[in-house]
Amino acid sequence: MTGGYPSEVVRVVCTVLSPFIAVFGLYVIAHGHYGPGGGFAGGVIVAVGAILPRMTLAEDLAYRAIPSITGPLAGGIGMLLFILCGVAPMLAGGAFLDYEALAIAGMEAARARYLGILAVEIAVGLAVFGALVLIYDVLAGRTD
Amino acid sequence: MILSLDILLFAILIVTALLALQVKDLLTAVAMLAGYSLFAALLFAGMQAVDVAFVEAALGAGLTGVLLIAAILATSRRIDGQEGMLRRVVVGSLVVGFVALMLFASGGLPDRGDPEAPAHQRVAPAYLEGSMEQTQTPNVVTAVLADYRSMDTLGETLVILTAALAASLVLVRREEGEP
Repeated sequence: MTGGYPSEVVRVVCTVLSPFIAVFGLYVIAHGHYGPGGGFAGGVIVAVGAILPRMTLAEDLAYRAIPSITGPLAGGIGMLLFILCGVAPMLAGGAFLDYEALAIAGMEAARARYLGILAVEIAVGLAVFGALVLIYDVLAGRTD
Repeated sequence: MILSLDILLFAILIVTALLALQVKDLLTAVAMLAGYSLFAALLFAGMQAVDVAFVEAALGAGLTGVLLIAAILATSRRIDGQEGMLRRVVVGSLVVGFVALMLFASGGLPDRGDPEAPAHQRVAPAYLEGSMEQTQTPNVVTAVLADYRSMDTLGETLVILTAALAASLVLVRREEGEP
Protein backbone atom coordinates (compact mmCIF):
# COMPACT_ATOMS: atom_id res chain seq x y z
CA MET A 1 0.00 0.00 0.00
CA THR A 2 2.54 2.55 1.10
CA GLY A 3 6.00 2.62 -0.37
CA GLY A 4 6.90 2.96 -4.00
CA TYR A 5 4.79 1.26 -6.62
CA PRO A 6 6.99 -1.27 -8.46
CA SER A 7 6.43 0.10 -11.97
CA GLU A 8 8.49 3.16 -12.83
CA VAL A 9 6.06 4.14 -15.60
CA VAL A 10 3.20 4.39 -13.11
CA ARG A 11 5.30 6.36 -10.65
CA VAL A 12 6.47 8.89 -13.24
CA VAL A 13 3.03 9.31 -14.84
CA CYS A 14 1.38 9.85 -11.46
CA THR A 15 4.05 12.34 -10.39
CA VAL A 16 3.66 14.33 -13.58
CA LEU A 17 -0.15 14.17 -13.60
CA SER A 18 -0.93 15.02 -9.99
CA PRO A 19 -0.09 18.76 -10.11
CA PHE A 20 -2.22 19.13 -13.24
CA ILE A 21 -5.11 17.33 -11.56
CA ALA A 22 -4.78 19.66 -8.57
CA VAL A 23 -4.73 22.74 -10.79
CA PHE A 24 -7.83 21.51 -12.60
CA GLY A 25 -9.50 21.11 -9.20
CA LEU A 26 -8.63 24.70 -8.31
CA TYR A 27 -10.10 25.78 -11.66
CA VAL A 28 -13.31 23.93 -10.88
CA ILE A 29 -13.55 25.64 -7.48
CA ALA A 30 -12.93 29.10 -8.94
CA HIS A 31 -15.16 28.51 -11.96
CA GLY A 32 -18.25 27.38 -10.06
CA HIS A 33 -20.05 30.61 -10.94
CA TYR A 34 -19.99 29.88 -14.66
CA GLY A 35 -19.73 26.15 -15.16
CA PRO A 36 -20.54 22.91 -13.44
CA GLY A 37 -18.69 22.13 -10.26
CA GLY A 38 -17.86 24.37 -7.37
CA GLY A 39 -16.39 23.79 -3.97
CA PHE A 40 -17.43 20.20 -3.52
CA ALA A 41 -16.34 18.71 -6.85
CA GLY A 42 -13.25 20.91 -6.96
CA GLY A 43 -12.20 19.88 -3.47
CA VAL A 44 -12.53 16.22 -4.44
CA ILE A 45 -10.34 16.71 -7.52
CA VAL A 46 -7.66 18.58 -5.56
CA ALA A 47 -7.72 15.75 -3.03
CA VAL A 48 -7.15 13.27 -5.87
CA GLY A 49 -4.10 15.31 -6.86
CA ALA A 50 -2.78 14.94 -3.31
CA ILE A 51 -3.67 11.26 -2.90
CA LEU A 52 -2.24 10.01 -6.20
CA PRO A 53 1.42 10.50 -5.11
CA ARG A 54 0.60 8.90 -1.76
CA MET A 55 -0.57 5.75 -3.50
CA THR A 56 2.37 5.40 -5.85
CA LEU A 57 5.49 7.14 -4.54
CA ALA A 58 7.77 6.13 -1.70
CA GLU A 59 6.37 7.28 1.61
CA ASP A 60 8.94 9.92 2.57
CA LEU A 61 8.76 11.42 -0.92
CA ALA A 62 4.98 11.66 -1.08
CA TYR A 63 4.56 13.08 2.41
CA ARG A 64 7.32 15.66 2.04
CA ALA A 65 5.23 17.95 -0.19
CA ILE A 66 1.89 17.37 1.55
CA PRO A 67 2.44 16.15 5.12
CA SER A 68 -0.25 14.18 6.91
CA ILE A 69 -1.15 17.20 9.06
CA THR A 70 -2.60 18.81 5.90
CA GLY A 71 -5.84 16.83 6.11
CA PRO A 72 -7.17 17.97 9.49
CA LEU A 73 -5.57 21.40 9.06
CA ALA A 74 -7.22 22.17 5.70
CA GLY A 75 -10.53 20.74 6.89
CA GLY A 76 -10.52 22.89 10.00
CA ILE A 77 -9.48 26.04 8.15
CA GLY A 78 -12.18 25.50 5.53
CA MET A 79 -14.89 25.02 8.15
CA LEU A 80 -13.70 28.11 10.06
CA LEU A 81 -13.71 30.16 6.85
CA PHE A 82 -17.27 29.06 6.10
CA ILE A 83 -18.46 30.01 9.59
CA LEU A 84 -16.60 33.30 9.26
CA CYS A 85 -18.50 33.94 6.00
CA GLY A 86 -21.66 33.43 8.03
CA VAL A 87 -20.72 35.51 11.05
CA ALA A 88 -19.06 38.47 9.29
CA PRO A 89 -22.34 39.76 7.75
CA MET A 90 -23.93 39.54 11.20
CA LEU A 91 -21.23 41.86 12.56
CA ALA A 92 -21.97 44.22 9.67
CA GLY A 93 -25.64 44.27 10.62
CA GLY A 94 -27.10 41.66 8.28
CA ALA A 95 -28.41 38.15 8.77
CA PHE A 96 -26.34 34.97 9.06
CA LEU A 97 -24.70 34.20 5.67
CA ASP A 98 -26.25 37.33 4.11
CA TYR A 99 -23.22 38.56 2.12
CA GLU A 100 -25.10 41.61 0.92
CA ALA A 101 -24.46 43.27 4.26
CA LEU A 102 -20.71 43.15 3.57
CA ALA A 103 -20.93 45.39 0.50
CA ILE A 104 -18.39 48.19 0.91
CA ALA A 105 -19.51 51.67 -0.17
CA GLY A 106 -19.74 51.87 -3.95
CA MET A 107 -20.04 48.10 -4.39
CA GLU A 108 -23.15 46.61 -5.86
CA ALA A 109 -25.07 44.29 -3.53
CA ALA A 110 -24.98 41.62 -6.23
CA ARG A 111 -21.17 41.94 -6.44
CA ALA A 112 -20.89 41.34 -2.69
CA ARG A 113 -23.00 38.20 -3.05
CA TYR A 114 -20.86 37.09 -5.98
CA LEU A 115 -17.71 37.41 -3.87
CA GLY A 116 -19.45 35.78 -0.92
CA ILE A 117 -20.27 32.77 -3.10
CA LEU A 118 -16.61 32.56 -4.15
CA ALA A 119 -15.47 32.66 -0.51
CA VAL A 120 -17.93 29.93 0.43
CA GLU A 121 -16.84 27.77 -2.51
CA ILE A 122 -13.22 28.07 -1.44
CA ALA A 123 -14.18 27.21 2.14
CA VAL A 124 -16.16 24.14 1.03
CA GLY A 125 -13.30 23.09 -1.26
CA LEU A 126 -10.77 23.31 1.57
CA ALA A 127 -13.01 21.39 3.97
CA VAL A 128 -13.73 18.60 1.47
CA PHE A 129 -10.06 18.38 0.46
CA GLY A 130 -9.03 18.12 4.10
CA ALA A 131 -11.68 15.56 4.97
CA LEU A 132 -10.79 13.24 2.07
CA VAL A 133 -7.03 13.46 2.59
CA LEU A 134 -7.59 12.76 6.29
CA ILE A 135 -9.68 9.68 5.52
CA TYR A 136 -7.04 8.38 3.10
CA ASP A 137 -4.20 8.96 5.56
CA VAL A 138 -6.07 7.17 8.31
CA LEU A 139 -6.84 4.20 6.06
CA ALA A 140 -3.21 4.04 4.94
CA GLY A 141 -2.11 4.13 8.56
CA ARG A 142 -0.23 7.41 8.30
CA THR A 143 -1.31 9.79 11.04
CA ASP A 144 1.70 11.16 12.81
CA MET B 1 -33.17 12.64 -23.17
CA ILE B 2 -33.16 9.62 -25.47
CA LEU B 3 -35.29 6.73 -24.31
CA SER B 4 -33.15 3.93 -25.77
CA LEU B 5 -30.01 5.43 -24.19
CA ASP B 6 -31.88 5.67 -20.89
CA ILE B 7 -32.85 2.02 -21.04
CA LEU B 8 -29.29 0.99 -21.98
CA LEU B 9 -27.77 2.98 -19.11
CA PHE B 10 -30.24 1.57 -16.60
CA ALA B 11 -29.50 -1.96 -17.85
CA ILE B 12 -25.75 -1.36 -17.39
CA LEU B 13 -26.40 0.07 -13.91
CA ILE B 14 -28.36 -2.99 -12.82
CA VAL B 15 -25.80 -5.40 -14.29
CA THR B 16 -22.81 -3.67 -12.66
CA ALA B 17 -24.62 -3.52 -9.32
CA LEU B 18 -25.46 -7.24 -9.45
CA LEU B 19 -21.88 -8.09 -10.50
CA ALA B 20 -20.48 -6.02 -7.63
CA LEU B 21 -22.62 -8.06 -5.24
CA GLN B 22 -21.80 -11.42 -6.80
CA VAL B 23 -18.02 -11.41 -7.32
CA LYS B 24 -15.88 -12.93 -4.58
CA ASP B 25 -12.87 -10.72 -5.31
CA LEU B 26 -13.42 -7.41 -3.54
CA LEU B 27 -11.12 -5.46 -5.86
CA THR B 28 -13.32 -6.49 -8.78
CA ALA B 29 -16.35 -5.40 -6.79
CA VAL B 30 -14.79 -1.97 -6.26
CA ALA B 31 -14.11 -1.67 -9.98
CA MET B 32 -17.72 -2.60 -10.68
CA LEU B 33 -18.94 0.04 -8.22
CA ALA B 34 -16.75 2.68 -9.89
CA GLY B 35 -18.25 1.69 -13.24
CA TYR B 36 -21.71 1.90 -11.71
CA SER B 37 -21.00 5.47 -10.54
CA LEU B 38 -19.66 6.44 -13.94
CA PHE B 39 -22.81 5.28 -15.71
CA ALA B 40 -24.96 6.92 -13.03
CA ALA B 41 -23.08 10.14 -13.81
CA LEU B 42 -23.88 9.70 -17.50
CA LEU B 43 -27.53 9.25 -16.59
CA PHE B 44 -27.48 12.47 -14.53
CA ALA B 45 -25.80 14.31 -17.38
CA GLY B 46 -28.56 13.05 -19.68
CA MET B 47 -31.09 14.64 -17.32
CA GLN B 48 -29.25 18.00 -17.71
CA ALA B 49 -28.06 17.78 -14.10
CA VAL B 50 -24.43 18.52 -15.00
CA ASP B 51 -23.37 19.58 -11.50
CA VAL B 52 -24.64 16.37 -9.94
CA ALA B 53 -23.06 14.33 -12.73
CA PHE B 54 -19.73 16.05 -12.15
CA VAL B 55 -19.70 15.31 -8.43
CA GLU B 56 -20.85 11.73 -9.04
CA ALA B 57 -18.05 11.17 -11.56
CA ALA B 58 -15.35 12.75 -9.40
CA LEU B 59 -16.41 11.29 -6.07
CA GLY B 60 -18.28 8.11 -6.90
CA ALA B 61 -16.23 6.88 -9.83
CA GLY B 62 -12.92 8.32 -8.68
CA LEU B 63 -12.18 8.85 -5.04
CA THR B 64 -14.58 6.39 -3.43
CA GLY B 65 -12.89 3.60 -5.37
CA VAL B 66 -9.48 4.75 -4.13
CA LEU B 67 -10.66 4.85 -0.52
CA LEU B 68 -12.28 1.41 -0.84
CA ILE B 69 -9.09 -0.03 -2.34
CA ALA B 70 -7.11 1.49 0.54
CA ALA B 71 -9.53 -0.19 2.94
CA ILE B 72 -9.17 -3.53 1.11
CA LEU B 73 -5.38 -3.33 1.22
CA ALA B 74 -5.58 -2.61 4.95
CA THR B 75 -7.84 -5.63 5.54
CA SER B 76 -8.45 -8.57 3.22
CA ARG B 77 -9.23 -9.04 -0.44
CA ARG B 78 -11.45 -12.11 -0.26
CA ILE B 79 -14.85 -12.73 1.22
CA ASP B 80 -14.63 -15.53 3.75
CA GLY B 81 -17.42 -17.94 4.54
CA GLN B 82 -20.79 -18.62 2.96
CA GLU B 83 -23.95 -16.82 3.88
CA GLY B 84 -26.74 -19.01 5.20
CA MET B 85 -29.92 -19.87 3.32
CA LEU B 86 -32.13 -18.20 5.92
CA ARG B 87 -30.21 -14.97 5.61
CA ARG B 88 -30.56 -15.03 1.83
CA VAL B 89 -34.33 -15.51 2.08
CA VAL B 90 -34.81 -12.75 4.66
CA VAL B 91 -32.59 -10.21 2.87
CA GLY B 92 -34.01 -11.11 -0.54
CA SER B 93 -37.61 -10.66 0.56
CA LEU B 94 -36.74 -7.36 2.25
CA VAL B 95 -35.10 -6.10 -0.95
CA VAL B 96 -38.02 -7.22 -3.12
CA GLY B 97 -40.49 -5.57 -0.72
CA PHE B 98 -38.53 -2.33 -0.71
CA VAL B 99 -38.30 -2.26 -4.51
CA ALA B 100 -42.05 -2.88 -4.77
CA LEU B 101 -42.69 -0.03 -2.31
CA MET B 102 -40.47 2.34 -4.31
CA LEU B 103 -42.11 1.37 -7.61
CA PHE B 104 -45.53 1.91 -6.04
CA ALA B 105 -44.49 5.32 -4.70
CA SER B 106 -42.88 6.38 -7.99
CA GLY B 107 -46.29 6.09 -9.64
CA GLY B 108 -47.30 9.24 -7.74
CA LEU B 109 -44.33 11.30 -8.90
CA PRO B 110 -44.83 14.02 -11.51
CA ASP B 111 -43.25 13.45 -14.93
CA ARG B 112 -39.61 14.45 -15.38
CA GLY B 113 -39.38 18.12 -16.35
CA ASP B 114 -43.07 18.74 -15.74
CA PRO B 115 -43.44 22.52 -15.25
CA GLU B 116 -46.54 21.94 -13.10
CA ALA B 117 -44.62 19.79 -10.61
CA PRO B 118 -44.76 21.09 -7.00
CA ALA B 119 -40.97 21.45 -6.93
CA HIS B 120 -41.15 24.04 -9.71
CA GLN B 121 -43.98 26.07 -8.19
CA ARG B 122 -42.68 27.73 -5.04
CA VAL B 123 -39.22 29.30 -4.71
CA ALA B 124 -37.58 27.73 -7.75
CA PRO B 125 -38.88 30.32 -10.27
CA ALA B 126 -37.61 33.14 -8.06
CA TYR B 127 -34.14 31.58 -7.97
CA LEU B 128 -34.10 30.97 -11.72
CA GLU B 129 -35.21 34.50 -12.55
CA GLY B 130 -33.23 36.33 -9.88
CA SER B 131 -29.88 34.62 -9.67
CA MET B 132 -28.23 36.57 -12.50
CA GLU B 133 -29.48 39.91 -11.26
CA GLN B 134 -29.10 39.34 -7.52
CA THR B 135 -25.83 37.42 -7.42
CA GLN B 136 -24.21 37.93 -10.85
CA THR B 137 -23.90 34.15 -11.09
CA PRO B 138 -24.96 32.49 -14.36
CA ASN B 139 -24.84 29.00 -12.87
CA VAL B 140 -28.06 28.86 -10.84
CA VAL B 141 -26.99 25.67 -9.07
CA THR B 142 -23.98 27.44 -7.57
CA ALA B 143 -26.10 30.45 -6.63
CA VAL B 144 -28.62 28.23 -4.85
CA LEU B 145 -25.95 26.14 -3.11
CA ALA B 146 -23.70 28.94 -1.91
CA ASP B 147 -26.07 31.88 -1.56
CA TYR B 148 -29.80 31.19 -1.34
CA ARG B 149 -29.38 27.90 0.51
CA SER B 150 -25.94 28.38 1.99
CA MET B 151 -27.17 27.26 5.41
CA ASP B 152 -27.79 23.78 3.97
CA THR B 153 -24.30 23.77 2.46
CA LEU B 154 -22.87 24.76 5.84
CA GLY B 155 -24.59 21.77 7.41
CA GLU B 156 -23.37 19.49 4.61
CA THR B 157 -19.76 20.60 4.99
CA LEU B 158 -20.00 20.12 8.74
CA VAL B 159 -21.31 16.58 8.18
CA ILE B 160 -18.43 15.69 5.83
CA LEU B 161 -15.81 17.02 8.22
CA THR B 162 -17.42 15.34 11.21
CA ALA B 163 -17.55 12.05 9.30
CA ALA B 164 -13.85 12.30 8.41
CA LEU B 165 -12.91 13.10 12.01
CA ALA B 166 -15.06 10.25 13.34
CA ALA B 167 -13.47 7.85 10.82
CA SER B 168 -10.02 8.94 11.90
CA LEU B 169 -10.90 8.48 15.58
CA VAL B 170 -12.17 4.94 14.92
CA LEU B 171 -9.41 3.86 12.53
CA VAL B 172 -6.28 5.53 13.83
CA ARG B 173 -3.70 2.88 14.74
CA ARG B 174 -1.87 3.37 17.99
CA GLU B 175 1.43 1.78 18.88
CA GLU B 176 1.30 -1.14 21.29
CA GLY B 177 1.10 0.03 24.91
CA GLU B 178 -0.13 3.53 24.11
CA PRO B 179 -3.44 4.36 25.72
